[in-house]
Amino acid sequence: MSRSTAPPMSGVTRSAASDPRTTSASGLAPVIRVDGVSRWFGSVVAVSDVTFDVSPGITGLLGPNGAGKTTLLRMITGLAAVSSGTITVFGEPVRDNPPLYRRIGVMSEHEAVYGFLTGRDFVRMMGRLRGVEDLDAAVDRAIDFVDLADAQHRPMKTYSRGMRQRMRLAATLVHDPELLILDEPLNGADPRQRVHFQSLLRKLAAEGRTIVISSHILEEVELLADTVLLIVNGKLAASGGFRAIRAALDERPYHVRVVCDAPRELASAVVMLDSVDAVNIDPDGAIVVLSRNVRDLQIELPRLAQAAAIRLRRVEPLDDSLESVFGYLVER
Amino acid sequence: MGAIYLLTLRQLTGRWRLLILTVLAALPVIITALVVRSPEAPSVSDFESFVFSTLLAGSISPLVVLAIAAAAFANEIEDRTLANLTLSPLPRSRIVVPKLLAAITIAGPPVAISALLTGHLAFLGDVRATLAVTASALVGVALYSAAFTWLGLVSSQAIGIGLLYIVLWEGFFSGFVDGVRLLSIRHYSIALMHGLDPRRFAGGHHLGFGVTIALSAIVFCGFVWLSVRRLRRMDVP
Repeated sequence: MSRSTAPPMSGVTRSAASDPRTTSASGLAPVIRVDGVSRWFGSVVAVSDVTFDVSPGITGLLGPNGAGKTTLLRMITGLAAVSSGTITVFGEPVRDNPPLYRRIGVMSEHEAVYGFLTGRDFVRMMGRLRGVEDLDAAVDRAIDFVDLADAQHRPMKTYSRGMRQRMRLAATLVHDPELLILDEPLNGADPRQRVHFQSLLRKLAAEGRTIVISSHILEEVELLADTVLLIVNGKLAASGGFRAIRAALDERPYHVRVVCDAPRELASAVVMLDSVDAVNIDPDGAIVVLSRNVRDLQIELPRLAQAAAIRLRRVEPLDDSLESVFGYLVER
Repeated sequence: MGAIYLLTLRQLTGRWRLLILTVLAALPVIITALVVRSPEAPSVSDFESFVFSTLLAGSISPLVVLAIAAAAFANEIEDRTLANLTLSPLPRSRIVVPKLLAAITIAGPPVAISALLTGHLAFLGDVRATLAVTASALVGVALYSAAFTWLGLVSSQAIGIGLLYIVLWEGFFSGFVDGVRLLSIRHYSIALMHGLDPRRFAGGHHLGFGVTIALSAIVFCGFVWLSVRRLRRMDVP
């Protein structure tokens, strides 16, 4: 990614100062260019003045539910119109440009399939619609790739959710697209299916494709994406390498609630730790510790309690939800 | 185009839907059978007014077509499968046309068979009159299909709006307001019937045959064009 209009964040790529017409870091023209795009529904602003480029590799579109990821992806795929701004894919406007879909594979968030079709018939039909030559070979290849050859002749309504997702991925891949756009593809998948899906996506990226994957799960994107676009409240909150964003997250102050059998003694000991910024005692007797270095606190707190012969009953983060993480990044 | 046509045929041929179509299409035949056996047989003009114009062209045909054609896109919008089609490199006309043809393929036979049997019973085997009734009914199916396919694309309340259109526009206003017949599919059907067999269906104030052909073509092509335009501009869920 070469540019964005994300608000300033130390350590994370910001591109407000970048020329919107610049090429990507690799010197190649970006595959996707989103320029000042907004979308509103009546008085509700779903996406607000978002600008970024996407280059080959895996790009994660990260944000809490309702952040505007799906609306943004729908505009990038041409399924929805922009209210203002422009979007180009491979240098062409994507809206009302059907020939471009020969180069794009889209897997939407919705698991809608034609349940009466077998998996193979579904992939075959998608191949036919996309004008695939040597259709049978392409269908075989796509179904083998997602490892569903055994189930290909069963109606899709009999598939598990994970199987349906994989067969949808096969249908998305059957025409060998250069750009893959996957909206929450791991939704509903069990841990084993997630691992399988992730390895498939890495394989596809290694073949030189551009993959945009949206998710509301931080760790999921961390495992997959080379670069991250962080969307919060319809705005691009941050963009860049995941490590930079992760580092920014690690500096974030956390509130940790500790329940023990001697709160005052523990509080006076904990406040002396370098990893602790402040300590409060709740009316119910629990300690609330404010820390900017939770990793150290995790190690030091049990040691301290053991040394003082204090029994810890419960240690829990108070603000570890994704929304609070995103909120922190936006406020910085 | 073949893939979308076959897919739509499968989508629209649910057991309940076909059963309702069959029952609806059987009504004019049953009524005609009862009427022609009665001692006081109605005149051709009365029969045309009640059975062909009001019942077949003004009620049964549009209801059957509404149940089929409105669902051609509306079902895919509702279950969010339409994106599978619109994300393909096909011109939008190659999505609309096969869907419309599939709707005509399903709605056409029950209406045509109903018209054929009704005409045969009413005119005691007069081939020309029977074919005139059947052909005009089929043209009505094609026109209603184009209109209701478009309606299914523009509104999530296509069935409700379609029913209002059938009752108010085709059923009520077109019977009282002269100018409305210029934009009434029911009147196109009846005018075609008159044009195809002027000997049997003489008299009455109807559109001319040539005008009807031209208006039918304009309405059909117009709704196809509107559907293609809508598919190009709409936000696909």
